Amino acid sequence: MDFYYGLLQIIGMHTILGLSAYIVLLTGQVTLAQAGFFAIGAYIAGMLTVLAGWHLVPSMLVAAVVSGTVACLVGFPALRIKGLMLVVATMAFGEAVRLFWFNFDYQRSKGEALVGPLGGEGFKQIRYFPENGWTTGEVATFVWIWVALIMAALWWIDRSRAGAVLRAVGEDELAAQSVGINLTAVKVTAFAVGGFIAGIGGAIYAHYTTHIEHSNFGVILATFAIAYPILGGLTNVVGTLLAVIFIQGFLVEGLRFLGDWRNLLFGALIVLAMNVRPRGLIDERAMLFLRRMFGLAKRGTNA
Amino acid sequence: MKLSKLLLTTAAAALAVTGVSVSAFSADREVKIAGFGAKSGVVRSFGVNTEAVMKAAVKHINDKGGIKLGDGTMGKLTASFDDDRCNAEEGISVLRRIASTDAVVAVGPTCSNVAEPLFGILQKKVDDASDSGLQMPIFTDTAIKGGLAKISQWAFRNVPNETVMYQTMFKWLMGKHPGIKTIYGGVEEDFAHSRFTWYKVMKVRSAEAGYDVKGESKWLLNDTNFTTQVREMKKAKPDAIAISAHPFTTCGVLKEMQRQRVKPKLLIGLTSSSSLETLNGCAKQAEGIIIPTSFAPVTDDARAAAAATAEMGGSADLHSAAAWEIVLILADVMEKQGIMAKPDTLQADRRKIRDGLASLKSTAGLLGKIKRTEEGEATKPYLYVHAKTGEWAVLHDPSQQ
Amino acid sequence: MDLVDFVQSITDGLLFGATYALIGIGFTMIFGVMHKINLAYAATSIAGAYVSWAVGTLLPLPALVTFVVAAIGGGIVGYLVYLCCFKFIPVTSPLATLLGTVGMLILIDEIIVHETNGMPQPYPALFDDVYFEIGEFYGIRGDLLFIFFLSLIATAILLYILYRTKLGIATRAVAQQPVAAQLCGISIERTNASTFVITGLLGGLAGAMIGASVGVLSPLLTLPITIKGLIVTVIGGLGSIPGAIIAGLLVGAFENFFQALRGVTERDMYVMLLLFAFLTFRPGGIFSKTTSRD
Repeated sequence: MDFYYGLLQIIGMHTILGLSAYIVLLTGQVTLAQAGFFAIGAYIAGMLTVLAGWHLVPSMLVAAVVSGTVACLVGFPALRIKGLMLVVATMAFGEAVRLFWFNFDYQRSKGEALVGPLGGEGFKQIRYFPENGWTTGEVATFVWIWVALIMAALWWIDRSRAGAVLRAVGEDELAAQSVGINLTAVKVTAFAVGGFIAGIGGAIYAHYTTHIEHSNFGVILATFAIAYPILGGLTNVVGTLLAVIFIQGFLVEGLRFLGDWRNLLFGALIVLAMNVRPRGLIDERAMLFLRRMFGLAKRGTNA
Repeated sequence: MKLSKLLLTTAAAALAVTGVSVSAFSADREVKIAGFGAKSGVVRSFGVNTEAVMKAAVKHINDKGGIKLGDGTMGKLTASFDDDRCNAEEGISVLRRIASTDAVVAVGPTCSNVAEPLFGILQKKVDDASDSGLQMPIFTDTAIKGGLAKISQWAFRNVPNETVMYQTMFKWLMGKHPGIKTIYGGVEEDFAHSRFTWYKVMKVRSAEAGYDVKGESKWLLNDTNFTTQVREMKKAKPDAIAISAHPFTTCGVLKEMQRQRVKPKLLIGLTSSSSLETLNGCAKQAEGIIIPTSFAPVTDDARAAAAATAEMGGSADLHSAAAWEIVLILADVMEKQGIMAKPDTLQADRRKIRDGLASLKSTAGLLGKIKRTEEGEATKPYLYVHAKTGEWAVLHDPSQQ
Repeated sequence: MDLVDFVQSITDGLLFGATYALIGIGFTMIFGVMHKINLAYAATSIAGAYVSWAVGTLLPLPALVTFVVAAIGGGIVGYLVYLCCFKFIPVTSPLATLLGTVGMLILIDEIIVHETNGMPQPYPALFDDVYFEIGEFYGIRGDLLFIFFLSLIATAILLYILYRTKLGIATRAVAQQPVAAQLCGISIERTNASTFVITGLLGGLAGAMIGASVGVLSPLLTLPITIKGLIVTVIGGLGSIPGAIIAGLLVGAFENFFQALRGVTERDMYVMLLLFAFLTFRPGGIFSKTTSRD
């Protein structure tokens, strides 16, 4: 059973990572900076629980606020550009964050050992969960409470006026601007919220693996962050969750019985998925279909 | 139409996820060892070799009749192998999967950056009820970064002790080539293991042996241009150069050294480079490089192990050969501790294996006796090898003095 | 560190920058024609080099022929990438194409790993025994000089194709006005496909040059080259070939200079800073006109 709880934890934290890119993608911006925010969240939260001895929840919130603030600061200059330029700029930012942690040393002695981040050798012994006796099931529940909160919040934003504004900017900037929407404010807000969410995800990641190092937060992770919402479709948050289950649950864990073929199929199936469903797993048509099914069922109960 | 396909895929995904093998114990009492390591990405050769070695060693034991269980019946050893992509998250997931099956012990992983987080999720001290970490014995064959097994009492390693190896090798070199006084380092700065080995092992130990360390030049794991670094080496005019890097950049640097005609009187390499990869990439330039290693086919046992591994389609090198020793050690421990290999004794069996491993003071190895430390590490016998006409040849055996 | 050292590291960097320039040209051309990013491009280049390596293990080839085979291999892989990630995905789903090329990048890498067990493979070079020494410590690598000139020749041929042949005119027409080009009877699909083949040829050559300059091939090469190639594309200005060439050399020189000055761990941070400086002060790239394009 522990294995499934562990898998649930992985799916949960990748969903959070994917959702952090989802809200930015809604505004039409492709960002490769999420791995950077994820790293900031991971290191800050790890330092707070290990070095300062804080409880996990406030550590996570502080980490998320820090990465959200950084996102906001980076957002102002970065979001003046778009398209490929933004992809490259955000990638460069993510790499810069990674290189920062690569050059960052801050160790203090705790007991007989030195703890804290140590540049290229990583930050070890972030053992908050086992040290406090959390079982895998409890950790999985904890992770999923966060996932549920974030998904609910994004769902609500999506359904509210704010969501309409975000999508308007994503669909047609010029039209959005001409009805009086402040493009910069909208984009930077989405970016900051994305950074905040990624910070929470990173904090969970650090405590999940108990050891983090700069190489965990490279371009590959950033690519996966946008891959989830793109693969899932930008219609709603459920798509992202579905895409994470597809990649982490099916491609990574589910295909394990295929042995060596698993590695080869990984890339091939992503290519195939994009050819078959270019608008994502859950697109407008799928939603229409689901809604009709749901609607029919409702009418049935009413009658 | 497309939607039904989508639903099908999702269903298939769900099925595949839940369909993890929960195979029942078979009648003829199987003892399952679960191997794991990298079989994708640039370090795929690690996993391929370890898997072949494990299969060969398991066959070796079963051919001799298997393992005598606690109640006197004979059990058959079986081995599985999972890929962790050299990725921490996936490694943890693989270990949890192994822990959920009937495997009594896990062998792996191949990458230090997986081993370190992995040991972190284990219970730190045995019988510490307040620590909810995983209780599963792990015996590591490849991940070599110094001092990891002390992270948990459930973690054991059978990897060479670099500190000891380089310490004695530098002393020996000092005696053999008294004219060589200065040394210069080359280090792959962004890889935890190579970095650790240069700064905490090679640099310290060579200075201790009386060498004058002139400094080091640094490069990154996937660098392609080494002109500046090699020029730094050239300027320092060292008698000896020590390179702490993995095969890809080691070869790049060696080729650049050839171009700039940097010819140190001595060339020293990282333990991990004493495998096939370096010679495959740049045999000509690596000629003469001296490396301390814990494996070479010099004894009858070692030759037999290497041959059995080759039959399984792998190559026995300092990393994978450790898996052979591990399987033999585990078989020994299982018999001594009298494990039962029954579904209801699974956790007890795991505990017995852990206790058995922890109580070992020394074990047999392919090159001779291996000493075991309190922290779960090994002090393995070792040799100095050097690259000679495209092959590794034994230069000196420190135990034969 | 004195002046001679600076000159030396900048020279080294400039020469090595030629390979970045080749990769940058490929990215920028595909973007110019299709207005899409092909993240699998650097992987295509390395795949081309691997194809020539594989052919070389079957029958021994002289280095120059190996490079030609690499270019052909790159062209073939380039066409496959077009088929898998561009041909069937609708133009209105740029994100799907982007992710498709990521999948392709992973797939190409994994195929290489599968065939070679991830081990570094030796790759031949030309003039790698030539080293022009200046004084005791300084010098210029003969093979890098060769790579530099080969890149210039390849670029010249590319520019000739683009500006002097029918195919080139069609390509440029599609890049500037796809609808008008179609009305003139130019097949957009064929033009797109030929762009991938041409950039693939160029990429295969670039991959071979990178392999030759390091002396070994490894799947480790793809990711850093992808990153460098994208940076070069943006600094050079999207769609600008001369811009990509100059930016490639500039990035090569810049990173080597800062490596000599600040060390290897901080080197890439300065490259990122250079990129930020360009994005802020000259978002259209080196040869930007007053009106910047998307």
